[in-house]
Amino acid sequence: MTVARVGHQAPDFEANVYYNGGFQTMKLSDYKGKWIVLCFYPGDFTFV
Amino acid sequence: MKELGVESFAASTDSRFVHKIWQAEELSKMVPGGVPFPMIADASGLIGQAYGVFEPAAGVDIRGRFIIDPDFNIRAMEVLTPEVGRSVNELIRQIKAFQHVRATGEVMPAGWTPGKPTLKPGPDLAGNVWKEWKPEMAF
Repeated sequence: MTVARVGHQAPDFEANVYYNGGFQTMKLSDYKGKWIVLCFYPGDFTFV
Repeated sequence: MKELGVESFAASTDSRFVHKIWQAEELSKMVPGGVPFPMIADASGLIGQAYGVFEPAAGVDIRGRFIIDPDFNIRAMEVLTPEVGRSVNELIRQIKAFQHVRATGEVMPAGWTPGKPTLKPGPDLAGNVWKEWKPEMAF
């Protein structure tokens, strides 16, 4: 299991997403070549 | 973010179905059209685990934010426990700083914001940073 480290390659993954009104799958490495911001958060419908 | 050429993604352990309803029920009321970027469903927590932010006791991904450059290297991460939200201004500042470094090779001292002085790294600068930069410039 790779764990993300600053200064190292980002762990790639494939995921189900909700985007633009629909469901899709994506791979993070599809976006190689661009700047990426990946934000994790604890849950939909939570307070902060 | 798009103006800076940045692709943004949000991820939580909620399913894509919950993301859809959250967008419809709340986010689109907070922001016209809702959030304009993909919402990742990390239902198993495996993506969060790979990024060191999955909290098994709660079954959620905690508040981690990663900046990844065009070579797929992680440049920065910020991880907080869920109670406190992130600073968007700090995110923008960091992205601009990393983009500037990548474009020019200059480095950004503490507290850099666009327009403030940068430093050109090299052997001549060693021991001479005090000539170029003062701590007051960090604020």
